[in-house]
Amino acid sequence: MTTPAQKIADVFVQLSGGSAGTPLQAPELLTTLVRCGPQLLGVHAVGTVVALDDRTEPQIAGSEDSAQELKREGLRWCEGPGTDTRRSGRPLPCTAFDSEAAMRRWPRYAPRALELGYTRVAAYPLRTRERPVGALVLLSSAEDTPMSEEAGTLAQSLADFTALALIREHELQKSRTLSGQLEHALVSRVIIEQAKGVLANSLDLSMDGAFALLRGHARTHRRRLTDVAHDVVEGRLKLGLDD
Amino acid sequence: METGGPSGDAAVAWQRAATARERAARAEVLAAQQEALAQQDPSSVHAKIAANHRRSANCHRSSAELQEAYARRLTALRQPHEPLPLFMGVVADACGTNSAALTLIGSDHSQLAVAASDEGARAAQDLEFVLGEGPSTDAAARRSRVSAVGTAIERRWPCYGPAVAALGVGEVIAVPLETADGCLGSLAVFDPRPGTATAAVFADVTEALVRTVLLGPDADPELYGDTDHRDTVHQAAGMLSVQEHCAVGDALSMLKARAYAEGVPVDEMARRIVHREYRLA
Repeated sequence: MTTPAQKIADVFVQLSGGSAGTPLQAPELLTTLVRCGPQLLGVHAVGTVVALDDRTEPQIAGSEDSAQELKREGLRWCEGPGTDTRRSGRPLPCTAFDSEAAMRRWPRYAPRALELGYTRVAAYPLRTRERPVGALVLLSSAEDTPMSEEAGTLAQSLADFTALALIREHELQKSRTLSGQLEHALVSRVIIEQAKGVLANSLDLSMDGAFALLRGHARTHRRRLTDVAHDVVEGRLKLGLDD
Repeated sequence: METGGPSGDAAVAWQRAATARERAARAEVLAAQQEALAQQDPSSVHAKIAANHRRSANCHRSSAELQEAYARRLTALRQPHEPLPLFMGVVADACGTNSAALTLIGSDHSQLAVAASDEGARAAQDLEFVLGEGPSTDAAARRSRVSAVGTAIERRWPCYGPAVAALGVGEVIAVPLETADGCLGSLAVFDPRPGTATAAVFADVTEALVRTVLLGPDADPELYGDTDHRDTVHQAAGMLSVQEHCAVGDALSMLKARAYAEGVPVDEMARRIVHREYRLA
């Protein structure tokens, strides 16, 4: 493998979000990885599977339709080099699909891979701080020259880099959600207190009485308390004692 | 939280501290692994990963220290009716001062909630709320550290400055509580001991506050009971808006102005309005 250093550097820059440096979202990131993978690593095709946590569906990407198809089936069968590597967190050395070991380990995946024209596979874990979150799978056909050790090292560092970028993006999303929720809760509280004041003054109620009225209205009209409070504060909704 | 009194609270705090210690230790192991790999291959991604783990470890260690200090104060309580120590007290202590104030600020720059370690910090925070200018506001709006000493305080904030100086404040430092892509508010400290309020201390304390106390899986945005939402002030603003036939935002401004003009704390002014002891007109 003789990929010029500049080409390798360019791919890392693309994975980190290009010259703008804005983190790529997971689907774009995986697409970039599989698009650049084959030429950079000197293999026929590249596939990847990622599951950042137990709650989200695993995501897949492939550099060509058959690679994507193979990834999808591997996921459905819970079988194949990607699944194994994602679980173990260890790289899988180059293995021929028609070998006895491969056939025994992947009884459905290996024949399907051969059918699609792939003869050999190697896989590298996408590793993060605590656990592997995915795998980068390199698929070779009969015409491809055997993968060099150098290509294996590069594949692992691409995988590590991608994993880091994925986790950073995931944490960004999580933090965005949490701070959004916190702000929403705080703003809601302010509006509810203000609405209580409005009702207490207009209807000569205690603050508890005003709150009961707000809550009662929200329940009977199946609306969120915050929305009702907002309408009261803005003067769009006039509540009476019989509400 | 159902904890069964101060000893229950202390047990929970010790537990939170232990969890934070474990997380710090785990991050340190991972950082060391990546640092070893980075030494073999300096151009690799390992140095970057290692730095991330280190930052994480510092943040968890700082959380553990805050929780341990808080647990120690809870454990020291002898009488069940003694007032609970403030979590903000240990935050202030970690920043080398007695006076620290945390302000949660909305995207519209309004104060949404506050927490203070002592009377002085609370008074300073109230001034900022009433006057609408000051270090917490600036640190959050500019997303950067703000500091001023002595007469610079009065020059920088024409209304807030002289008022806070009159409280006896000689130095103020405020830092934003930054999240990955936003800002929750700020932490202000007043009169830190010389040399203790270093940038590194603030970075660790604020990151621990953001990542483990305010947000995250074990977070308690109520700061274990310290957070004040100024409920009475907002109720009073609601009442005033009806009395004065104006928008609630204008009513809030009127309330602040009147409190300031009469030299009454804004909470007290609000309490009088809510209890119908005072009418603006």
